[in-house]
This record gives sequence, structure tokens and C-alpha cells, in this order.
Amino acid sequence: MNSTTKIATQTIVDSILEPVLTPAPAIGINNVTVSFKTPKGTYTAVKEISLTVQKGEIISLIGHSGCGKSTLMGTISGMVKPTTGEVIANGKKVMGPGPDRGIVFQNYSLLPWLTVYRNIYEAVDSALKDLSKSEKRELVERNLKTVHLWDHKDKLPGQLSGGMKQRVAIARAFAINPSILLLDEPFGALDALTKSNMHVELLKLWNLDNREKTIVMVTHDIEEAIFLSDRVVVMNNGPEATIKEIVPVPLERPRNKKEIVHDPVYMSTHDKLLNLLIDKFSIDDIKE
Amino acid sequence: MKAKAIKIGWSVLYFVAGMLLLLGMWDMVSKITKGEIPSPLATWDTFKEVMTNPFQNDPDYKGIGTKLISSLARVGIGFGLGSLIAIPLGFVLGSNRIIMNIFNPIVQILRPVSPLAWFPLGLAIFQDSPKASIFMIFICSLWPTLINTSFGVSQIPQDHKNVGKAFGFSLWKYITKIMIPYSLPHIFTGLRLSIGVAWMVIVAGEMLSGGIGLGYFVWEEGFNGGSIGKILVAILIIGTVGLLLDKFFTGLQKRFTYAV
Repeated sequence: MNSTTKIATQTIVDSILEPVLTPAPAIGINNVTVSFKTPKGTYTAVKEISLTVQKGEIISLIGHSGCGKSTLMGTISGMVKPTTGEVIANGKKVMGPGPDRGIVFQNYSLLPWLTVYRNIYEAVDSALKDLSKSEKRELVERNLKTVHLWDHKDKLPGQLSGGMKQRVAIARAFAINPSILLLDEPFGALDALTKSNMHVELLKLWNLDNREKTIVMVTHDIEEAIFLSDRVVVMNNGPEATIKEIVPVPLERPRNKKEIVHDPVYMSTHDKLLNLLIDKFSIDDIKE
Repeated sequence: MKAKAIKIGWSVLYFVAGMLLLLGMWDMVSKITKGEIPSPLATWDTFKEVMTNPFQNDPDYKGIGTKLISSLARVGIGFGLGSLIAIPLGFVLGSNRIIMNIFNPIVQILRPVSPLAWFPLGLAIFQDSPKASIFMIFICSLWPTLINTSFGVSQIPQDHKNVGKAFGFSLWKYITKIMIPYSLPHIFTGLRLSIGVAWMVIVAGEMLSGGIGLGYFVWEEGFNGGSIGKILVAILIIGTVGLLLDKFFTGLQKRFTYAV
């Protein structure tokens, strides 16, 4: 075999292997700017942001209130249209919301007149039109059982606690089996204990699915971000928010909530994030 | 359970107290006017007299029950037709700012018009007084329902709309699973106000048109017949029926209001 054919063969092998070895990212945010028109003029929430999220990766967007993290997330879900730039999800340009991206809203957003069961069923019925009725029912049942709410399937959301409502919302997002899951401050309204349980529940669901789902989460909780994510994206304060820094979380999975806090890597990551988010730590700092 | 029974007990007690107060004042007025206004007891006798064979339905004389039913039927038809137009129109106005802005001045001009003003117009169009009263009821039933329905639809929270968007609800699913359930309490408020106006107006309309319904009873048998007792009986019947209609729609409104 002469060297020319060898190179040619190599190129062919590479071209076959390359997409396998380095798969297309699940989400590509390319130079996205979002501006809103307000009575006072144009307000730019986020400016020229680029970010790539790999398949199966869990990342958190963290930052102060109003830093545009929800807006940036909105561009992935398709609820917010970028003013310039584009978002690619699963290889397609995002033009609006779609069933390949499941959303868990900040305030659960369950329909109060539908039972727990119907809330999920109507979502499945809309997002997965091609399934038969019994397949849809099966899907609702399986997902409700996963979040331990099957016994409460006939209740209205008003009869549930905050944690239960959030589980319904998560079950609803998982039921349509999206490859990308978008969580907008999903546990913000929950008490600390419920929150901890929900973190573990979420990772359980992600594990059950062979860690194939890509999860993007908006949060302002540093501990939550570290425990769940592979990378934490720290954003600058808006307006015209940009990415301040992307902090990797090199902690082994599965992570144990109790043990992880003593891990030096956890502590250094926590410190780093705290420093990025807060620059005043005592009253003395404020005096200066 | 026990607390609920006590609550019901109290409201019954309050109702009885209110009724006794009304009867007491009524009796006093009757005494002051030396029986010109009949006493509750005398009115009770008139009531029993009126109620002998209430559903008499001869060509030359109709009982009070028959008259009540004919009034209710006209209200039902006019109110039903009005709601049939007002509710869907309210959905459209509530969902679209531009259409709302175009229709709003029309509604604002027509709404304050006394329903009785529509009666002669109805008479001119239909050449028939029962149809003219239905027309009048139809017109006055439109506004409260239209305004409340469109308000309800325009208030649908962004959260609910986002659910529809995120999971790709079809227009039909959006209408049936989000828009209608959310606006239902508002629709019932509108219907309640509409039926209240309609019930008030039908009596006046029937006085104008003559020959039919409770309004005619008040005018012909009460006033022209010189029996104030009959007028009082009619007033009590009209009031009670109005109260029941109102309670019915309040019940529906409560039934379809959901905690978030």
C-alpha cells in the first residue's frame, strides 16, 4: 500500500469515525443577542452569547436576578426569539417550542382545572401525536409512577403540595421524552428538604434514561448547581449580560449528597463560584 | 362537617331574621296606610286566591303560573340567543387586541342604552310584541356576557399560554383545555349579570306590550284591577324567581373556579 492510498484511507476512516467520536453537540448557542422593546427604549438582556452543550451533559446557568439567564434559556426552548444570532438544538435551528425540548417552568405551570393525570396526558397527546391512545396512557402511567404520584393521579393541582406539583411538572416534561430538558429555576419555591429529595429524583430519572438527556437548568443556588451539573455557566449582571466564566465540576458520578460536601473538589468549586457571584463578604467590604 | 352545619344554621337564622324584619315593616306600613297597602296576612289571602289553579290556560284567562312560565320562556330564548352570540364573540375579542379595539366603542355606546328603548325597534321589525320582547331581552343579555367573557380570555396568565406553546397544543386543544376552562368563571359572572338584567327588563317589557306574562299580570290584574295585593304577590314572585336565577349562576361560577 503506497502512502497516498494510506492517507486517503485514513481520511475516509476519519470522516466515518469523526461524527461518532465527536458527536454533534445537543445545543449550540451561536452569538445570541436578545433585545426587548420597552417604553424607555431598547433593553438588551443578553449580548453576543455563545455556548455549546454536549449530548447527555447537565449544565447550570447561574447569576443574579435579572441577569438574563431565563432569557437565554428561553432562546433554547424557543419561547424567546434571539434578536441576532441563532440557537441550534439537535442539529436544527430553533424556530419555536418543540417536543424535542421539554420544559419545566419556574412555577410548575400546571393547568389547575385538569387532574394530575390529565395534565400529563394532554401534554403527551399534543407532543406525541403519532402514538396510539393506549401507548399514551401507558406513558403517562409509567412517568407518574416514577415520581411516585400514581396514587394522586385524580387530584387537582390545587390539592397538592409544592413538591408534588413540581414532580408532576417534571413527570410531564419527561413523559414527552425530549432529548433536551430545560429547567427554569425548577426547585426555587421548595423548602430545603424537599429540594434535596428532588435533586436526587431528577438524577435518578436522568440515570434511568442512560444519561442520554441533555439538561440545562437555570438556578441561583450554588450547591444545587454543583451537585447536579457537569459545568456551571456563571453570567454577568444584566443588562447586556454575557458569560463571565464557565466552571467545570470534575466530580465523579454518582454523587452522594452527604459525602460530596466534604470533597476538596466540591469545596474549591463552591469557593470559586461564590467568588464569581459575590464580591462583598462582610460589612467591612461594603465600607470600602 | 359540624362547622359547616353550624354555618348553615346561622345563615338560615339570618334569613329568617331578615324576613321577619321585612314583614314587620310591611305590616307597619299597612297599618299607617289603614289597609290601603294590604298587610302581609291579607296579601297571603290574595296569594292563595291567585294560586288556585295557577296553570289555568284558557284563551280568555291565563293563571299566574302560566304567565310566569311564558315570561321565563321569553327570557330563556332571548338570553339563550344572546349568550350564544356573546360568548364566542367574547372569546374572539378577548384573544385579539385589534378586534377588541374596534368593537369596544360599539359596546360602550350600546351598553348603557335602556333595554326598553330597543322594544319599539323590535316591534317595528317583527310586528309582534312577544317577539319584540325576546328581541329586547336578546340585546340586553349581550353586553354583560360579552364584556366578562372577553375580560376573562384577555386575562389568561402567560404561564398557561406557555404550557400550550411548550407542548404544542393545537388551537382546538388550546381553546378547550386552556381558554374555556380559564374564562368559565368570568363567563358565568357575565351570564349571571345578564339574566339579572333580562329578568328585570321582561316585566317592564310585558307592561309595554300587554297581553302576556307577569308584567301584564301586574299591570292589568293588579293596577287596572285595583288589587294592590296582586301587585305585591307579583313582586314577591318576581323577586324570588330572580333570586333563584342568580343563585343558580353563582353556584356554577363557584363550581368552575379552581385553586392554582
